[in-house]
Amino acid sequence: MEKTVTTGKKKNIWQFGTNQVVYAAIGAALYAVVTWAFNIWQIPGAGNVGVRPAVVIPMFFGIAFGPIVGFITGFVGNILSDMLSGYGFWVWWDIGNGIMGLIPGLFSAMIFKYNEQKSILRAELSVVLGTALGMALAAISEMWVSGADINTAIVANFLPAFITNIIWGLILLPILMIAYAAIVQRSGR
Amino acid sequence: MLVAWNYRYRNSPMDHIDPRARFIFSFAVLFAATTTWNPNILFAVFIISITWYSLGRLTWKDTRFGWLMISIMLFTMIVINTIITGGGAGGVVPPGGQLVWPNGVSIFGRQLNLGLTIERLWFAVSQLMRLLSISMVFIMIPYTMDSRAYGVTFSKLGMPDRLAYTMELSFRFMPTLARNFQVTLDAQRARGFELDAGKGNIVQKIRQVAPLLIPVTMNAIVSSEDIANAMDLRGFGLRKRTWLYKLQFRWWDWAIIAFGALMLAVVLILAYRFDMRLFHVPDWWYGLFGS
Repeated sequence: MEKTVTTGKKKNIWQFGTNQVVYAAIGAALYAVVTWAFNIWQIPGAGNVGVRPAVVIPMFFGIAFGPIVGFITGFVGNILSDMLSGYGFWVWWDIGNGIMGLIPGLFSAMIFKYNEQKSILRAELSVVLGTALGMALAAISEMWVSGADINTAIVANFLPAFITNIIWGLILLPILMIAYAAIVQRSGR
Repeated sequence: MLVAWNYRYRNSPMDHIDPRARFIFSFAVLFAATTTWNPNILFAVFIISITWYSLGRLTWKDTRFGWLMISIMLFTMIVINTIITGGGAGGVVPPGGQLVWPNGVSIFGRQLNLGLTIERLWFAVSQLMRLLSISMVFIMIPYTMDSRAYGVTFSKLGMPDRLAYTMELSFRFMPTLARNFQVTLDAQRARGFELDAGKGNIVQKIRQVAPLLIPVTMNAIVSSEDIANAMDLRGFGLRKRTWLYKLQFRWWDWAIIAFGALMLAVVLILAYRFDMRLFHVPDWWYGLFGS
């Protein structure tokens, strides 16, 4: 069984063995469950800024386990949460969510110690880039589907999704990384 | 917290259609509807979508949450962006046009000039036909497709086995993770944790989610190692995967795929060979407004 290297060693971020299959499946299921749970509860703390704290999950899985795991976590997780909520199947938003995990995954090659300041800064940068690219792709797809112009796509589709996702990502990702660093240290991975 | 799928067997015609044929047909409708703004073609695709949707025998009670979400999207895109502000029509409807109310409208004694044109209003109708066509074929998927069929469907449609199995596996993990989420929430509440305390600024409110999110995520990661070990011990990935849930094409599945392909081909030929791609307003629509 291949070992996921998390500290101090060179990573093969494109590896997709048994471990990555399980991480991606767990990530996708977790993303779906948390999204769904926060949707049905309409949590007030979340209601003020958006209802998707779960967006941090594909970002974190990308950072921890690479771009493929990050992408699948976002892509499949969004399909599953839409299925649970009965929202249908919107493949361009699913891909957008996948990209939110894929881009942090590309940065995972530069992150070895999850509680280091520079690792956290790189991860935060990946959140901004990943969210911008993912939500831009989904918003631009709405131009193709609904015939909206660029201003509408930006104001009605891109900005609300980008701003809320980025807030959740920037605040929660470092917390998850520090918690994961403790687990990595304790288990000697 | 129980994870309950929206699918249930209804013995509808849709239940007897192979999921692969359904996905191929749904994407054919998506591409056909997004190829053109010609009202006649959009209307034909719209009628095909209604027929397709009716094959699922879905009730309003089944799908109301999905339609609520679609309604919000339609309201934003059509009522706000196209009818009220005109922004949504900017890329398609040529500037200018005939006003629906040339003398303005009197609302609560005040004379308002809304600037809504007949062309923009027709564009809203076209947008409604296009978006509803797409929504109908995709919104029904979770309600009419067995969750056990997703992995094998994507695998047979050409997705790599490991990727398709990841999807299959995530379905199986969901009930366990939902239970863990509930147990963690209960445990944290017993310690005085309040998710909806409503105190502090936005950052503090977001950080309140952490005591719930961290244990659930870390537990899931730790337990995944055991699962990966168990899979490796059973030789996962050494040979081509077989699936418990079998898919079988029947003659009607081929007919649906052929119909979808034919529909898309006809729309593409009409749109690009006969120049029926662009937006135009039919004469009878102007007649409705006395123009």
